[in-house]
Amino acid sequence: MRNFKNTFLSIVLLFPVIAFAQLTIKGKVTDKNTKTELPGVNVVVKGTLNGSTTDFDGLYTIDKVNTGDVLVFSFIGYYSLEVTITSNADINVELEESAESLDEVVVIGYGSVKKEDLTGAVDLITSEDFNQGPVVSAQQLISGKIAGVSVTSGGGAPGEGQEINIRGLGSLSLTSTPLIVVDGLPLNDGGVGGSRNTLNLINPNDIESMVVLKDASATSIYGSRAANGVIIITTKKGKDSEFKFNLNSSMTFSNPIDQVDVLSAGRFTRLINGTGDADAIARLGSSNTDWQEAIYVDAVGTDNSFSALGSAWGVPMRASVGYSDQSGILDRDNFKRTTASLSLTPTLLDEHLKIELNARGMYTENTFANRDAIGNAVSFDPTQSISDPNSQYAGYFSWVDPNTGSQFNLAPSNPVALINLVDDTAEVRRLVANAKFDYKLHFFPDLTATVNVGLDKSNSNGRTLTSEFIPTSDPTFNGSRTTFSEEATNQLLDAYLTYNKSINEVHNLTFVAGYSYQKFEFENFNFDSEKEEQGNDFEFIDRSENILLSYFGRLNYDYDGKYLITATLRADASSKLNPNDQWGYFPSVAVAWNIHNEDFMDGSFINQLKLRAGYGEVGNVNGLGDYNFLTRYTGSQSTANYQFGSAFFQTFRPEPINEELRWEVGRTLNVGLDYSILNSRISGSVNAYLKETQDLIASAFIDPFTNFGNRIDKNIGDMENKGIEFALNVIPVKTEDIEWSISYNIAFNDNKVTNLPFDQPTGGISGGVGNNIQVHTEGESPFSYLVYKQIYDTNGKPIEGAFVDRNGDNIINDDDRYLYNDPYADVIMGLNTNLSFKNWDLSIVTRANFGNYAYNNVASSTGYLRRATQNNILTNLHSNHLNTGFIETTENNLLSDHFIENASFFKIDNITLGYKLADNTLFEDVNFRFYGSLQNVATVTDYNGLDPEIINTGDGTSGIDNNFYPRPRTFVFGVNIDF
Amino acid sequence: MKNIIKKIIFIVTITFFMESCHDDLNVSPIDPDSFTQEDVFANATVAKSALAKLYSALALTGQEGPAGQPDIADIDEGFSQFSRMLFNLNELTTDHSVVGWGDPGLPDLHGMSWSSSNDFTEAMYSRLAQSVSFSNSFIQNAEALTDPEVATFIAEAKFLRAYSYYNLIDLYANVPLTTVVSTDLPAQSNRAEIFAFIESELLEIQDQLPAAGANEYGRVDQVAAWALLSRLYLNAEVWTGTAKYSECVDFSNKVMNSSYAINMNDANGNGTAYDELFLADNDTNGAQNEFIFALNFDGLQSQTFGGTTFLVHASIGGSMNATDFGVNGGWSGLRTTKNLVNQFEVDPSAIDINVLNNSLNGTLSDWGLVGDATENAWDGPDMEMYETATNQYALYAVLTNGEMKFRFDEDWGNNFGDNDTDGSLEPDGTNIPIPNSGIYLITLDLDNLTYAATALTALDKRGMFHTDGQSLEIESIPPFKEGYAVSKFKNVDSNGNAGSDPTGDFVDTDLPLIRLAEIYLNYAEASLRGGGGDLGVATSKINELRLRAYGNTSGDITSGDITLDFVLNERSRELYWEGQRRTDLVRYNYFTTNSLLWPFKGNISNGTAVDQIRNIFPLPINVLATNPNLTQNPGY
Repeated sequence: MRNFKNTFLSIVLLFPVIAFAQLTIKGKVTDKNTKTELPGVNVVVKGTLNGSTTDFDGLYTIDKVNTGDVLVFSFIGYYSLEVTITSNADINVELEESAESLDEVVVIGYGSVKKEDLTGAVDLITSEDFNQGPVVSAQQLISGKIAGVSVTSGGGAPGEGQEINIRGLGSLSLTSTPLIVVDGLPLNDGGVGGSRNTLNLINPNDIESMVVLKDASATSIYGSRAANGVIIITTKKGKDSEFKFNLNSSMTFSNPIDQVDVLSAGRFTRLINGTGDADAIARLGSSNTDWQEAIYVDAVGTDNSFSALGSAWGVPMRASVGYSDQSGILDRDNFKRTTASLSLTPTLLDEHLKIELNARGMYTENTFANRDAIGNAVSFDPTQSISDPNSQYAGYFSWVDPNTGSQFNLAPSNPVALINLVDDTAEVRRLVANAKFDYKLHFFPDLTATVNVGLDKSNSNGRTLTSEFIPTSDPTFNGSRTTFSEEATNQLLDAYLTYNKSINEVHNLTFVAGYSYQKFEFENFNFDSEKEEQGNDFEFIDRSENILLSYFGRLNYDYDGKYLITATLRADASSKLNPNDQWGYFPSVAVAWNIHNEDFMDGSFINQLKLRAGYGEVGNVNGLGDYNFLTRYTGSQSTANYQFGSAFFQTFRPEPINEELRWEVGRTLNVGLDYSILNSRISGSVNAYLKETQDLIASAFIDPFTNFGNRIDKNIGDMENKGIEFALNVIPVKTEDIEWSISYNIAFNDNKVTNLPFDQPTGGISGGVGNNIQVHTEGESPFSYLVYKQIYDTNGKPIEGAFVDRNGDNIINDDDRYLYNDPYADVIMGLNTNLSFKNWDLSIVTRANFGNYAYNNVASSTGYLRRATQNNILTNLHSNHLNTGFIETTENNLLSDHFIENASFFKIDNITLGYKLADNTLFEDVNFRFYGSLQNVATVTDYNGLDPEIINTGDGTSGIDNNFYPRPRTFVFGVNIDF
Repeated sequence: MKNIIKKIIFIVTITFFMESCHDDLNVSPIDPDSFTQEDVFANATVAKSALAKLYSALALTGQEGPAGQPDIADIDEGFSQFSRMLFNLNELTTDHSVVGWGDPGLPDLHGMSWSSSNDFTEAMYSRLAQSVSFSNSFIQNAEALTDPEVATFIAEAKFLRAYSYYNLIDLYANVPLTTVVSTDLPAQSNRAEIFAFIESELLEIQDQLPAAGANEYGRVDQVAAWALLSRLYLNAEVWTGTAKYSECVDFSNKVMNSSYAINMNDANGNGTAYDELFLADNDTNGAQNEFIFALNFDGLQSQTFGGTTFLVHASIGGSMNATDFGVNGGWSGLRTTKNLVNQFEVDPSAIDINVLNNSLNGTLSDWGLVGDATENAWDGPDMEMYETATNQYALYAVLTNGEMKFRFDEDWGNNFGDNDTDGSLEPDGTNIPIPNSGIYLITLDLDNLTYAATALTALDKRGMFHTDGQSLEIESIPPFKEGYAVSKFKNVDSNGNAGSDPTGDFVDTDLPLIRLAEIYLNYAEASLRGGGGDLGVATSKINELRLRAYGNTSGDITSGDITLDFVLNERSRELYWEGQRRTDLVRYNYFTTNSLLWPFKGNISNGTAVDQIRNIFPLPINVLATNPNLTQNPGY
């Protein structure tokens, strides 16, 4: 009835207008900057269905218009333009390309929305904005680009793992990294053994865009796997066009930048002579060996990729192959990767059935340099030479115990021998494929049924061969071989229905409901030749599986593009939890107001102004072990059997059990503002969020009388992250020849444990056995350092063993330790700029972290005098010894706040300069771009260690600097050819 | 209609599919090393492997030797082994041992400054509590099995639980008493309650355990229950305030009358059968007949960085040759104090005079010994003494039966004798008689004009020390050269061959936790403390130990020699480094008081008394935080 009324009213109101004589208008649409014609531009009479599009030459004709009508010219990627008809003269318009188009479609999980219709904290980075330079893995593409998202490499090895953190640390011991979804397929969290980085799978050149979902109202559709945010990667797809080809080829040259500061041979000799220890002095050699220089080399690499996209037999397709060969600066480190991808996107049945087939494969060959050499190079006596013609160990100098004739029990092995006498290689294969069918029902076109089946399967084979000549205290060692093979499989089935309805063009409704099934299987197999020789178990199998089952629903509604609401509910069940309590329900709701679409904003300098607010909950059991709720017994290996009589029995141990493990739940409240003004010359967003993670799952100490161990994975407490993010994009200059853009983002994050019944020590360090430098404690940041307060003399030199007796009981013990900073930055910034001048382009990427502190474990564990002469050998010291003069390593010295340093930094990550060879007469229709790039350009920091940015990609913990694989400085020269 | 049927089929199919997926959520372990309760307690044969875990929980550290899949978290796995921690808490805290490593909390043990967050006290508590939980669970599950041998398994599990509680009551005093596995936080019990529990359990199982020697090697029999009762009753007065010495005597008697025997088989022919107890083949060389309860180690099949692997490796350093010990190198950690060294009457043939004199840390002086007891008789040159401080001189010297005097610079112009053999010197005094040949420590004090001549005579072979390059005195604990090294534990067998692990990493030697010799000493001490035993029996039993120690009867004592202090010292000599010293010193009230001092007791170089709260260890701070039912031991 109401519809009828509206229609009636429209007719009545429009009737007088229709009565006038009608005109036909023609004209041409061009690009404001390039002056080229724009085909396919929509031309519509505002408020009517009357419209047309421009032809190949940018020309249009529109009939039945009247003076006073308003023509709306719109085209994806350009600002819309409105022109009022005043006469029948031609109307030629120039459209301006928008820096950030509101019409861009953003994939949000089980669907997509126009950017303008987003309600959550979502960032979209397209290939144009990706970082340039030596990018091996997808994460590096967005490093420094998004407020609140930090991407940190585990070290300088080629293909090294990258830790992504969205809005600080999300969990204490569960996975803290975001879920990564590639073309609708959520990937496995962990990699298989031998793979350096799970995202090495994808050649960065294949990526079209990356969407980062930051707040829970956006992520909750992905349920429990999305607890730490989601990164949705969409790869490039074929287009309905002629084939186009792209060839990208580059060479990289990497050099070590810096070394750990240790005593030189001369200084070390003086030190040993100064001890007066005759035995030690006698051990001094006469060489001058820089052991670090001996293990680090200049490395060369190449990266090549080729892609073709177009349409054949009416099927849009894209195929690519890539090959990368990168060496590391640690001698013999090498990473070779071959990738191939194919995507087919046919549309059938009158566009009712859309099919998307994606398959990508990766094959990597890794040669892992022996990283034990890193620590040993720091410690090895610089007065010894690398070679010793009399050495039984392949001519490498070693500390030999004259009594046993073998290397001393506690002596470090010659670093160069470690590099050259151990072969550690692995091959990893991975296949990720999915097939997605979107069927728009013929009899009910508002409804689309989607089925997505996917497979993510990887396997690896690796082996470590150790030469019989390796220096060892084992007199019988005759070489060894250990091998492993691992397989991880993730199967996915999604089935969902999407109902899309627009009523009277003002009520826009999208409803999605579906079901998802994921099965994760792991298997690995190990072999050890040493154990075989000794007659022990030498083959080991580990196997596990878990299931994640989900139902989800989402409602998107907007009223006239002005008022938007999104409501989501996801129910997840994980087989990791007790069947009595394995379902978790995660709702979210978000609202947004597109202020710029209000009538009162017409004609304003504001292009976009959107206010958003959202609340959502997501669960987390990622990284939790399986079967915690069952009493399981673990059988002993044959090296841990027990003798009864003359026989050895396998033993069965009951494992700690927790029947009460529940979902860890994160609840996020986010308010945000998206803005774009002055023809989008200035744009950006502001977000403020509060995330409470409740029932944190962590390995927690328990009363050992109540279980079969002293720790179990347990819901132990709550944590809070709160922060503000600010992003600003400015285009100060935009002319025909010059375009200059600057983007800046800053994020403040405060992370603290809000509820923890008792402290949890963490952060194991080297230098002793079982020392922890960090603690989780209520009211403080997780992983806060817990240290003694060092006392210094009047010259500022630390007094060994002198610490502040904070509780005044005249005893220095654990009670005197205090909380002193944490490894997480309070402020993270990114500042990037792009400048193009005619055919030249220049981009610079910089980042800064403030308020992050690091524990210099290299200095603390290797800088004390006793170490130089103990164990019947000589050991080099960290130069920090010259500052501290410390003699003994004791727990207190190790735990001194002297070694906690402010590791705030400013880094120039990358500078890239490119030149586009346009209008070349030699090859018509071929575009060349030549570029040179410098990675890891400069670091400004007060931190004394090698690199202030320390993260353990294995467990996500950070701040403990030890045996770090230095990040090299890398030069890249490359060419990109489109034809 | 057709459409409706199609739709129904579609819906049914979907529902069926989703339902079957729901069943997928009920997973069970598929790892081949993982077993369910039903698997493990299917029958007695499999359950025996669960019993083996109860023993191996004390010997090893996890399910993957030597490390990997640890039983206990929060501590380096090697450190978490029971007997290694027992050494740390009961030997390292006393005059028996020092360690040079700076691992957190480790130096605090000898220094007697441990806190409630000490890693080793916490890990030991966890280890013992876990052992109780393992036993509780085993007993509960095994009771459902009907096989006759399972009754023995259960009795053994109860013994092991009682042994864990014996250690808990000794170390921590007030701990929860649990007999079933429950996630409910347990209440705290006091020493008297735990004592009563251990006592009643041991009394109950004494007849359920196999008769003496009837069980397999490595598994306990009824003698173990008696022996543990003997030890328990010996400490009853300290732990509960009620003396039970006569019970101690009774149960010691039962043990002494059993088939267990002191090993007298000198398998390697070095003159004593004592060292065989600590060799790689001590499960077969005769020592096993003395072991009432021992932890079994094997260099290949039972590997750990604790146990005897720790005792052998950690004791080797300095000029010691690891090959002599059957291993591939030393960890340069453990040494002992002069208190232990001085317990032994030294074997002169094993003494290097130069080493002894170097250990005086003096400078050669012009004061010397002259006389027919010295090497050059009355003609000189004199045996020059070392000046150890102003007007203080000392010398270790081999002297023969005769006389001597002190003389300056080979000149009779300045000499001292002793007119009335009272220890004070007179210028030109009478010659000093040396009645027996032997090694003497001669000291001369010119400030007070006194001297001493102490004979280092007899030959107790239990004192096994490495002295070359080592000083007797400890000036600073970390350097390995400070303090004598102990060579008691070895990974070579009676024929001198190294143990089974060809790499020389892991040790075969089993470690006795209770052996017959201890029960002899329990008997003697309980008798002296009014337990009603026969001192004559005690004397002959101790002489049995001393006969083995000396290789002959020269070390024999008479019943008049047996005093409480003598027994304590004899325990030190017989049982050092076997995990009992602290308990003994607490029983004598010597552990914290100034009645007995040793280097760096209380972190003072000469030793000092410490607060008596240190007679027991604190409950770990982490345990207190998790269980609000617990109250911290007084003073911590």
